[in-house]
Amino acid sequence: MDSKEYILGRFRRNVGKKYDMPDLGSIAGITYPDPLVQFINITQTNGSNLFELKPGDDINKLIMECYPDAKTIASSLPEIRIANRNPETVASARDLDGTDVGVVRAELGVAENGCMWVPQQCKEKVVDFISENLVILLPRDSIVNNMHEAYRKIKFNSYNFGTFIAGASKTADIAQVLVVGAQAARSCTIFLV
Amino acid sequence: MSTSHSRLADKFLENDKYAQWHDNTFWGVRQKRDRMADEVPEWEQLRQMASDIKRHTITHLDRYLEQFEANAVKNGAIVHWAKDADEFNSIIYGILREHDVKKLVKSKSMLTEECEMNPYLEAHGVEVVETDLGERIIQLNDQKPSHIVMPAIHLDHHEVGQLFENKLGSEKDNHDPTYLTYQARLSLRHEFLTADAGLTGANFGVAATGDIVVCTNEGNADMATSVPPLHIAVMGLEKVIPDYDSLAVFHRLLARSATGQPTTVYTSHFRTNRPTARKMHIVLLDNGRTEWIANPQHWETLKCIRCGSCMNTCPVYRLSGGYSYSYFIPGPLGINLGMLRDPQAHSGNVSACTLCLSCQNTCPVKVNLGDQVYQWRQQLDEFGTANKQKKFICKGMDAVFTRPKVYNMATDNAHLANHIPSFIMECGLNPWAKGHKMMKFPKKPFHKLFKDLEKDEDGK
Repeated sequence: MDSKEYILGRFRRNVGKKYDMPDLGSIAGITYPDPLVQFINITQTNGSNLFELKPGDDINKLIMECYPDAKTIASSLPEIRIANRNPETVASARDLDGTDVGVVRAELGVAENGCMWVPQQCKEKVVDFISENLVILLPRDSIVNNMHEAYRKIKFNSYNFGTFIAGASKTADIAQVLVVGAQAARSCTIFLV
Repeated sequence: MSTSHSRLADKFLENDKYAQWHDNTFWGVRQKRDRMADEVPEWEQLRQMASDIKRHTITHLDRYLEQFEANAVKNGAIVHWAKDADEFNSIIYGILREHDVKKLVKSKSMLTEECEMNPYLEAHGVEVVETDLGERIIQLNDQKPSHIVMPAIHLDHHEVGQLFENKLGSEKDNHDPTYLTYQARLSLRHEFLTADAGLTGANFGVAATGDIVVCTNEGNADMATSVPPLHIAVMGLEKVIPDYDSLAVFHRLLARSATGQPTTVYTSHFRTNRPTARKMHIVLLDNGRTEWIANPQHWETLKCIRCGSCMNTCPVYRLSGGYSYSYFIPGPLGINLGMLRDPQAHSGNVSACTLCLSCQNTCPVKVNLGDQVYQWRQQLDEFGTANKQKKFICKGMDAVFTRPKVYNMATDNAHLANHIPSFIMECGLNPWAKGHKMMKFPKKPFHKLFKDLEKDEDGK
C-alpha cells in the first residue's frame, strides 16, 4: 500500500464527529467611508512612500526624482523607458542581482492592511524581491476594503504565481529591533496611477 | 521533585535582567496584537469562523487533501505523501539527489524541525542554509529555535554581533541591529544566488486552487524560490483549507495574532514552478496527525495555524523561555503537541501552565490549549509520569478531606505547624514549598470563625 492510501485510510478510520462548513457569507468584513484614504494612511504606517500621479506627470521622471542615484533599473513594463534591465529577457534570474530599482505593476490594493496584489508579469519574478528598491504602480480605482473582497477579485495569469506585497521587507529578529530591508526590497514606493 | 520544565526555568531566571526583558518583550507583542484585534470590529466573529472552518476541514481532511493534490497536479506540481519523518527526509533527499543539489536554501519551516531534516540532509552531503534571519542566526550558533515566530529571541544584539564577527566577518564591536541585519543580507544574497534549490514551508494549502501560500516579512521565501532552479514546498496535512474565502479569514487573523501587524509584508501564492525552473515539488507530511485526530480531547490542537500568540501571552513562557520546554515547540502549543507526540518524554512540560487560559482566549482559531493541559495532567498517572510525592500527598489529603472529623481536627490544630521550623517545612521533600514560602495557618479556622459570627448574629 502506498503512503497516500495508508494516510487516508488511517484518517478515515480515526476521524470522529464530522463538522459542517460555516457560512462565510455572514462575515461582516470591515469597510471604510473612503477605502483609498485608508489605504494611503496604512501605507504610511508600514513605511512605504506613496505618490499620486497627476495627468501629465511622467512616471519615469518621478521615479528618478525618488531614486536619483539609481543606475540599474529593471522593469518589463513598456512605459518604464528608464529601465536598462528587462526581467523578461535576462538569461537568468541571477542577472537581476544588483538592481537598484525594480518597477512592477499591482492590480489591486487592500485598504485594511496595505497589501497590493502583484501577479507575476514577466519571465523572472525575482524582480519583485531582488531589487534594492521596489516601485509599484497601482491603479487608484483598484482599492478594496478588506481581504474577503480581495480574495474574490484577484486573478492569476498563465505564470500561476502571485503575491501580496505590503511595503519593504523587514525583520525584528535581532533583539526585536525593527529593521527595514531584510532579504528583499529595502524601500517601497507606490505610485497611484 | 521538580518537573523538567521548572528545573530549566530556574536556569533561565538566573539572568534576572534578561528574564525581565524577555517578559516585557513578549507582553509588548501581546499588546500589539490586542491593538490590531481592536481595530477589527468583526474580530471575534473571525475567530469563530476560523475555528469552525478548521473543525470542518480537519474532519474532512481526506476530501480536501485529494482535492488539493488533484489541483496541484493540474497546475503542474508533483505531490508526495510522507507517513513519517523518515519517509519525509528520504523523499526530500531523493528529489535533491535527482537534481544534483549541493546547496539548499530554505525559509523557516517548523515541519523540517519536526523531522530533523537539516542534520539528515547534511549527513548526506547537502549544504543547508537557513534564510530567515532568526533561523540563520541560530543555525550559525548551532542552536534550536526558542520561539516559532522569533526563533533567536534568546540572544541579544551583542551575542549576535559576536557571532557575526566570527562567522560572517562583520566589523568588530559593531553590534547595531541595522548593521548586523545588513551583513546577514549580503551573506544570504550570496547564498540565494549560488543555491541549487529552495525549500519553503506552507502557511496554507488551498484545496480549491492547489495554491501553496507562504507568508514572510523578510521576503526570504520569495528569494529562495525565485532564483534557484528548483522549489520544494513542505506542508503538514492539517494546513490544507478549502478555498479563497477561507484563506481570507485566516490571512486576516495570522499576522495580527502573531506579531501585531495587519499583514505580513509578503503573502505569496505558488501554483507551479517559474518558467525557467524545474517542476515544483510538494511534500505532504502526516507524522502522527492522522492518529491525533482520533483523540477526542486533543484533536483540536490540529487547528493551530502556528502564529505563536499563545507563547507571547503565556506568563510561564514569558518567564521561562523556549529552552525550558523539552519539545522543540515551546509554550502552550508545544506542551500539547509534545504530549501528543510522546507523553512519556514530554510530561515534564505540563506543569508549565497556571491555567490562566490567556492562550486560548487569544488563539485566533480557538484551540482550547489551557483546558487540554488540564486534561493531560489528569492522565499523568496512566503514562506513569505523575509526581510520586504529589501523588502521596494527594492520597493524604483524600484521607482528610473525605472525613469531616479528621478534617476538623486537622484544621483546629493546623496552627501548630506554624511552629515547625521553616527549614523542615520548606525542604525539598515538600514540592509545594518550591518558589514560595509556606503559608501561616490561622489559630481559628474559617468555618469556626463563620460559626462564631453566626452565633453573634443570633445573640443580637
